[in-house]
Amino acid sequence: MSPEHPVYLEDKLEEIRDSGRLHYRSKSLPTWCPGCGYYSMTEGVTWALNEIGVRNEDVVVVSGIGCASRFPFFMETYGFHTLHGRTLPVATGVKLANDKLTVVVVGGDGDGFAIGGGHIPHVARRNVDITYLLFDNGIYGLTKGQVSPTSAIGFTTSTSPFENHDQPLNPLMMLLSYGASWVGQAYAGQPEHLAKMIRAAIEHRGFSYLHILSPCVTFDKTDRTYRNLDFSVRNLPEGHDHTDRLAAIHEATKVDQPAVGLYYVEKRPTLSDTLDEIVVRAGGKPAQQAGAG
Amino acid sequence: MTSIHTDVQIGICGSAGDGTIAVGDILKRAMARAGYRVIAFDEYPAEIRGFGKCVARTRITTEQVYSMKPKTDVLVSLNDAHAIPHAEEVRDFGAVIYDSAPISMIDEGWHISGHLNPGQLPYGLPMREISEQATGSNRSRNIVALGFVAGLYQLPRQAFVDAIAAKFQTKAAEVTQSNVAAFNAGYDNGAEIYRFDKVEVGPPARRTRGHDSTMMTGNAAVVRGCLDAGIETFFGYPITPATSIMERLAVEMPKHGARLLQTEDEISAISATMGAGFAGARAATATSGPGFALMSEMMGLGVMAEVPAVVFVSQRGGPSTGMPTKTEQADLNIAVFGGHGDAKRIVLAPTNVEGCWRCAGRAFEMAEAYQTPVVVLLDLYLSNRYETVVFPKKTPFVRDACKRPAQDKHNEPYRRFELTGDGVSPRAVPGEAHGIHTATGLEHNEFGRPNDLSDMHFQMTEKRHEKLNTALKHPGITIYKRFGDTGDVDVGLLAWGSTFGETLEAMLLARAEGIRCAAMKVVMLSPLPVKPIKRFLKDCKEVIVPELNYEGQFANLVSGAVGRDVIRLNRVTGKPMAVNEILDTIRSAAGKRKMRKSAA
Repeated sequence: MSPEHPVYLEDKLEEIRDSGRLHYRSKSLPTWCPGCGYYSMTEGVTWALNEIGVRNEDVVVVSGIGCASRFPFFMETYGFHTLHGRTLPVATGVKLANDKLTVVVVGGDGDGFAIGGGHIPHVARRNVDITYLLFDNGIYGLTKGQVSPTSAIGFTTSTSPFENHDQPLNPLMMLLSYGASWVGQAYAGQPEHLAKMIRAAIEHRGFSYLHILSPCVTFDKTDRTYRNLDFSVRNLPEGHDHTDRLAAIHEATKVDQPAVGLYYVEKRPTLSDTLDEIVVRAGGKPAQQAGAG
Repeated sequence: MTSIHTDVQIGICGSAGDGTIAVGDILKRAMARAGYRVIAFDEYPAEIRGFGKCVARTRITTEQVYSMKPKTDVLVSLNDAHAIPHAEEVRDFGAVIYDSAPISMIDEGWHISGHLNPGQLPYGLPMREISEQATGSNRSRNIVALGFVAGLYQLPRQAFVDAIAAKFQTKAAEVTQSNVAAFNAGYDNGAEIYRFDKVEVGPPARRTRGHDSTMMTGNAAVVRGCLDAGIETFFGYPITPATSIMERLAVEMPKHGARLLQTEDEISAISATMGAGFAGARAATATSGPGFALMSEMMGLGVMAEVPAVVFVSQRGGPSTGMPTKTEQADLNIAVFGGHGDAKRIVLAPTNVEGCWRCAGRAFEMAEAYQTPVVVLLDLYLSNRYETVVFPKKTPFVRDACKRPAQDKHNEPYRRFELTGDGVSPRAVPGEAHGIHTATGLEHNEFGRPNDLSDMHFQMTEKRHEKLNTALKHPGITIYKRFGDTGDVDVGLLAWGSTFGETLEAMLLARAEGIRCAAMKVVMLSPLPVKPIKRFLKDCKEVIVPELNYEGQFANLVSGAVGRDVIRLNRVTGKPMAVNEILDTIRSAAGKRKMRKSAA
């Protein structure tokens, strides 16, 4: 900030107000720790919704349990704060009930890959038209710092006092092999890129999975910190073919230098498309216009 | 024309592969076609192949009844080894029909004719030979036996021929022809026999114009109820004995533009049901005890976040995998209480097939009207048994029972969980501009914001409980009903679910013996209609609660609510309650009264 161009609070507030993002923010203030990566998520989602121009009442944010699960309360949209690990089936029900809704699922690594891991393959293979924003901080934050399925080997936490010995999962490889039709990665320390990725994920027609590297500033001082991630995170190589699943899996194996960007995308019928086709085959009339949202 | 009031029970017993269930099916369909009332229940093993025992029982009556008789009138044996233990079920001067020249040799002592008591009348029939003569193959023994029964009692031949044709309509025409030939051969044989038994079949009741009667199972009636209530989404996971609900809905729902998904487990099934319910669709799932145990956490969310959802639970023998193809009523506790926290929900337990339809339809209304999960509790016996039912041509179920936000309040912030007089808050669903809110499993204030202040938790807990009491007055459903003698009685019977059929039968038999007796069915198990139950119990000197579980779960529920002990009749045989056992308990309860009286 140069002294020739001082930034006044009023100007900054006006700028934020004009950006349209506040239109999607509720009056509740986020309860996350200062510096938490989830603030970037809130910014990204509100920016993306504003860019897309979807109406507030046509958005449903579904969350489970964990730090990320408080997200719906900070949004001026419909929200369903559900159970630990059950976001994806709940969101499936919401979407099938009303295709016009834009359904965004938010959750962390414990919610998604520990207790809720069984649902991911099925929502991916069915290609439910929802967006899954997974904030991976490699730790259980809300219960104050326990080991998670994506914690690194050697990571010490309150429930792994003798270090974590379990191989961490590779979520990107899992999603790519499960058949997710949109797989990408972003980093909370790059909020503008993150916001663009969120927009692309929401705009994708089908199941989109965005893996977001996000430091836990309170319970992880050693491993997945902003400092470490700033150093290791890179972009996907130029010329990465995001229609090539094998190339995407190959990139996903490079866990020490995680790459951000769009790994893989494909076009195929969504679950709603399939169910409407069944209705037509049975001689019925589809009650909804699938994928209108 | 003599007017004989028909009440005949026919049992067919054989080994898996004998076509036992198949001929039982033709029998009940033919008799229903001919205008009789039918109730039928099959017993079969859990294994798909093998040599398990199958028993198909059909009771044919002039007016609809809701249980099997204590004694069978006619027993057909397609396999003597399996049928011998059932010979004692046949009443005196009833008939036992068996193969006098079976396919394989039967060891000495293993022929059913040696196991009949002098009052039972044997009809040996060379089923195999007749089948071979009529069709060139011995494979139609079962149809020959069926024809013999039909001929013996002069049942309407054409109804059977039609039922056979309907059964084999997807197969080649020769299959029907050959089966009809076998049937006719059996029929002619039966018609020639001079009968000694005392089994009599009268004409069917005259049909009521404008009412179509159909014969269906409890699960099929549930499906009909769902469709009549306008179900929009269904999520399920296969489990005996609930699977046939999903199978049938999978065929029917798309015709109405509705969506069904087989999920990866029961947890996702209930989760998606809640999601769809939250988004404003009429949503349901169906399962049995083990699956419902998995659903219990989500039931808690449904209660807390006030989400409408309908859950059909068909009980089977438990715990754990238990006896998947046997009936039991041991999931009352989990249906009414299952889960964590103060999570009261509505539980409906129909007592007959017509009730399955009605409870299914009303469950959707209640879920919407009271914004809560509703459990419809069935059991294998009710799910699988056939009854003749009469449905109105126009659905009585209300399509939108939701209390909506007032249109003139758009300037005020929306209170999704507004504290109102009846505990029911106006509900908006996604897509509505005024009504944006977040539903949560956290305790919350009227706006749905997390709030765990002690006053708030008390008020909200009270709201979630009190709103359900309105369900006790929900229109269009009988949640309890008293039958039998009015006023003071010596013995009162209190029953729920499928066991009420046997209870009613036993009560009527006891009254015929001169015992002052009444029976009350309770359809709504939660919230329990405590006042009417108390009134009924006041009239009863002794109270019997018959049910198919070991602990007396309904007896516990009632005793706890009214503060009075009851006589418990608990059976866990995997079979429906025997009418005779209830009758014996009534007799001894009535006798005990008399003895006490004479001693005093």
